[in-house]
Amino acid sequence: MEETTGPEEMIVCRDVHKWYGDFHALRGITTTVNRREVVVAFGPSGSGKSTFIRTINRLEDHQRGDIIVDGIELTDDVRNIDAIRRDVGMVFQSFNLFPHLTVKSNITLAPIKVRHMPSDEADEIAMSLLERVGIPEQAEKYPAELSGGQQQRVAIARALAMQPKIMLFDEPTSALDPEMIKEVLDVMQELAESGMTMIVVTHEMGFAREVADRMMMFDEGTLVEEGTPQQIFEDPQSDRTKLFLSQIL
Amino acid sequence: MATSTDIGRGGPLPPPRSTTGVVGWMRANLFSSWYNTVLTAVSGVVLLVSLWYGLGWMIFTADWTVIGVLGGQMIIGQYNIEAACPGQNCFWRPQAGLLLVTALLGMAWGIAGGGLTKRIAIAVAVALAAFALLPYGLDTMGMDVRALLVANLPALGVGWALARYTPLGTPRWIAIFGVVIFIAILVLLRGLPGVPGLQPVSVIYWGGLMLNLLLAVAGIVLSLPIGIALALGRRSQLPVVKLLCVVFIEVFRGVPLITLLFMSQVLVPLAFPENFPQNSLFRAAVVITLFSVAYMAENIRGGLQALHPGQAEAARALGLPGWQTTLLISLPQAIRNVIPAIVGQFIALFKDTSLVYIIGMLDVVEISRAFIQGNTEYLASAKELFIFLALVFWVFTYGMSYVSRRIEQHLGVGER
Repeated sequence: MEETTGPEEMIVCRDVHKWYGDFHALRGITTTVNRREVVVAFGPSGSGKSTFIRTINRLEDHQRGDIIVDGIELTDDVRNIDAIRRDVGMVFQSFNLFPHLTVKSNITLAPIKVRHMPSDEADEIAMSLLERVGIPEQAEKYPAELSGGQQQRVAIARALAMQPKIMLFDEPTSALDPEMIKEVLDVMQELAESGMTMIVVTHEMGFAREVADRMMMFDEGTLVEEGTPQQIFEDPQSDRTKLFLSQIL
Repeated sequence: MATSTDIGRGGPLPPPRSTTGVVGWMRANLFSSWYNTVLTAVSGVVLLVSLWYGLGWMIFTADWTVIGVLGGQMIIGQYNIEAACPGQNCFWRPQAGLLLVTALLGMAWGIAGGGLTKRIAIAVAVALAAFALLPYGLDTMGMDVRALLVANLPALGVGWALARYTPLGTPRWIAIFGVVIFIAILVLLRGLPGVPGLQPVSVIYWGGLMLNLLLAVAGIVLSLPIGIALALGRRSQLPVVKLLCVVFIEVFRGVPLITLLFMSQVLVPLAFPENFPQNSLFRAAVVITLFSVAYMAENIRGGLQALHPGQAEAARALGLPGWQTTLLISLPQAIRNVIPAIVGQFIALFKDTSLVYIIGMLDVVEISRAFIQGNTEYLASAKELFIFLALVFWVFTYGMSYVSRRIEQHLGVGER
């Protein structure tokens, strides 16, 4: 399987289709994401952008086409799925922190249970990650005691604790108050600059312009247009992209 | 000349009426409107009258001697009668079992170090020891029995010391000892053929509160894990597993407990060879447990369904396998959310143990009823006896309810 992806190709999608019953959610997505690349996926709601990134760690299964993540092809094989999930971190719109665990336990749970890391080592990593996202003083609190922006930063730290090769962000700032959006975007920007491979579903066009290497416009389950932020913002090729950007900018 | 404090044309309003202090509280809560005033007056009169006559009856008229006369039977049923235990006094055996329970409570206290566990452990041991001081029933409750009751105090200390000063002071050992002690108590009560002092006592003589508690403890301890398994099974993707769980739940929930108990005694033996060892108490315990399991499974399933699907998704996205996601993420949250329903089920189970009278077992209620029926001179004392029984049940169920409230507070249910 190694030969199907080059060393620089982290995610390869070939003609990926996904149906929910009769609804054709993804209609042949073909794209490649390279190591250290930051990709922003955008488009109207229901366009398939969230579904697309959720197929990459198989929270949704695809029915046709190939998805190859870091050289491993996603199939029904549970071992492959678990291997890929260990290497792909995900951040959700609604944070999905575990409310019955402290902030620190949220972060250390997967390294201890999945990577079998000794708990004092996991604690150390958790604290350094909380330092990195700027809230080490919240380690012993429960998620409900934190603001939305703080919760989302914990969620990022939780995903990073598994030392993933790829990070997926599914509308990470859509549930946040305006003033908390920036603190989360700052963490994401720092992460992008550190060389993390990232796919971000977002409508934060300022973030896209500044941080993204490439943008993908989704509509009705297809990948309408791809290009650098400069190309997308200044010279969009598709009318659909032009119309969408004119509505949100 | 209107100022900002003037409202409309009425001029300044009078200050709001006091809502603090005794008068303020009464005004706000008892006399806030004319119909509340009427309600307060009527219920106040009813309360005063019933308290006056009720308390008066309980203190001056009621004759509580029947409780002393029945005393030991209410606790162990006919366990110690001549037919059950010929030529010996077997009363010490349930009491020795009690000592083991107290020692276990002592261990729990030793681990918890204080708080609620400590208070419960001490309260139970002191209450049991205090029974030794009761002036009643000197004929049935001899000095040996009283000595064993007092021994609950040192037993508590031994358990506490074991937990404090030996490596046995961990929750895992408590759980292991709990199971071992439960089995030891059953062996102690049932007896071992050929062992002097432990002559077998048939389960048909087991009764009283001891019977209620044995059935309740077995049911409570087993119905939670089995209920969890069935709840998970009912949500399983595997059609056969799911079907089996649904059928089990619907059958056991759809038939009255009395019917199930009756069937267990009449129909189940038909399914086995005639000389197959039969144990009516075991069958009753199984039926009560399974009946409770069916409700428990639905309680847990409700808790699981209330969880946001994002919780399991987040766990799976971190690479946790399905079983760990269930064990570490879904179940702790689901159970925490349905603690009130679970404890409600435990309380119902405890009260339902009285229904074993339908298959001829003399639980604490039935043995009291039978006593009144068989000793007509005490017919007039039925009132006192049943008030006392109500109090006994209430103490146990309120205890469960209180512990569950404390657990909820400790877990911060409703806050996070």
